[in-house]
Amino acid sequence: MSNDSILKTFLVTFLLCLVCSVLVCLAALVRIDREAYNQLLETRATVLAAGGYEEQLNSGASEDELFSNFEMKMVNINTGEFTTEINVEEFNPRDIQNNPDMLVAIPAASDVADLKQRPKFARVFIDNTNGQVVLPVNGPGMWGPIYAYIGVQSDGTTVSGLKFYQHSETPGLGAEIEKPKFRNQFIGKKLYNDSGSLAINVVKSGRYDAGADNAIHTIDGLAGSTITGDKVQNLVRYWFSDHGYGKFLANYTKSKE
Amino acid sequence: MSKAKDALLDPLFNNNPIALQILGICSALAVTNKMSTALTMSIAVILVTSCSNAAVSAIRNHIPNSIRIIVQMTIIATLVIIVDQMLKAYAYEMSKQLSVYVGLIITNCIVMGRAEAYAMKNPVYESWLDGIGNGLGYSLILLIVAFLRELFGSGSFFGLTILNPVNNDGWYVTNGLMLLAPSAFFLIGFIIWALRTWKPELQE
Repeated sequence: MSNDSILKTFLVTFLLCLVCSVLVCLAALVRIDREAYNQLLETRATVLAAGGYEEQLNSGASEDELFSNFEMKMVNINTGEFTTEINVEEFNPRDIQNNPDMLVAIPAASDVADLKQRPKFARVFIDNTNGQVVLPVNGPGMWGPIYAYIGVQSDGTTVSGLKFYQHSETPGLGAEIEKPKFRNQFIGKKLYNDSGSLAINVVKSGRYDAGADNAIHTIDGLAGSTITGDKVQNLVRYWFSDHGYGKFLANYTKSKE
Repeated sequence: MSKAKDALLDPLFNNNPIALQILGICSALAVTNKMSTALTMSIAVILVTSCSNAAVSAIRNHIPNSIRIIVQMTIIATLVIIVDQMLKAYAYEMSKQLSVYVGLIITNCIVMGRAEAYAMKNPVYESWLDGIGNGLGYSLILLIVAFLRELFGSGSFFGLTILNPVNNDGWYVTNGLMLLAPSAFFLIGFIIWALRTWKPELQE
């Protein structure tokens, strides 16, 4: 049979496609099989870092052991209450982002982080050793979305840690937000002032004054990354406003008193 | 034997895919700001070029001439998807850092160029070595560029601090340009200059 006959052309194409598609399917099956596990490991490491356990982890503490103190729960962000409407074990944050029934439009006046919409439900992690709660947050950055977890102590205002797990900020400039030098500044800062209004802010690099009255709410920005700093500030401010976790934190703190 | 040796070693200096043929520049810019990403990318490209060359060579006498490019493309795409999925499964953190660039190996001219120019005319073993050789030639440049970019851009080597940067309360003022893609253009330019000065016969 000549190589260039029509029959041979179809035969070669068919066999090649058959072999290749089987190989691709097998590879995809392996990947899908491991995906949930990989995401679980990532979430676990991020939650622990946001809960302020980073130093302990770096000095060799076991992730399994530390994470066993955490309890996952679903929160209805609209009402600020825990909910059992969604099974927390089966919850996948990536599914909810693409499901219009699960999303709520954010009114322009509340939308400081320019998110446009957010999920109705969030999976939160409660630390049974000290009552702190680790919450997922996200928002647009300079080049792409930023995803992070923030730990808040049981008083509902003191930050126990912040850890980003996805962003595409400029390497060397905005991407420095993921370095401990920037994000560890959040540890111990207070989200709200004494009268209960949102006060946390990220100032331009070098404008931070440790002696000022508002130093407890202020984060020193990064040189050359003013926009990224603003985006991080806005996403924190949105998620801890009344339209974000404000109601939930108020309820949660009350239940802890 | 000497043909096999040439197939393996020629692409390192005498016929380097990046420095002489100026192929595969896109990914060389994108993944070289750290040694770890450059090394992973290098391994992925070596795997893809060697396997695709071997596969194309194995069926070269049965490929109809009219569809040969699409046949090569299908083989390359399959291999790239397998590598990409395996990275996502077993090196999740790394696959996130490499993002789309592993998938883009499909469009890397080195892979396709070697399949068409070498594997279509040569036996399996030599083609396989040629694929490894070209992958190594690509990796060599990638690792040199990544070494310089990571050292001067972040003051580190495989993530270990060598020059303590100011951001970390050290003394080294990092070179921000090195972290951005254009710096790889300059570095590759210097490498090409150095290579052609060392081997004048490569000059056009």
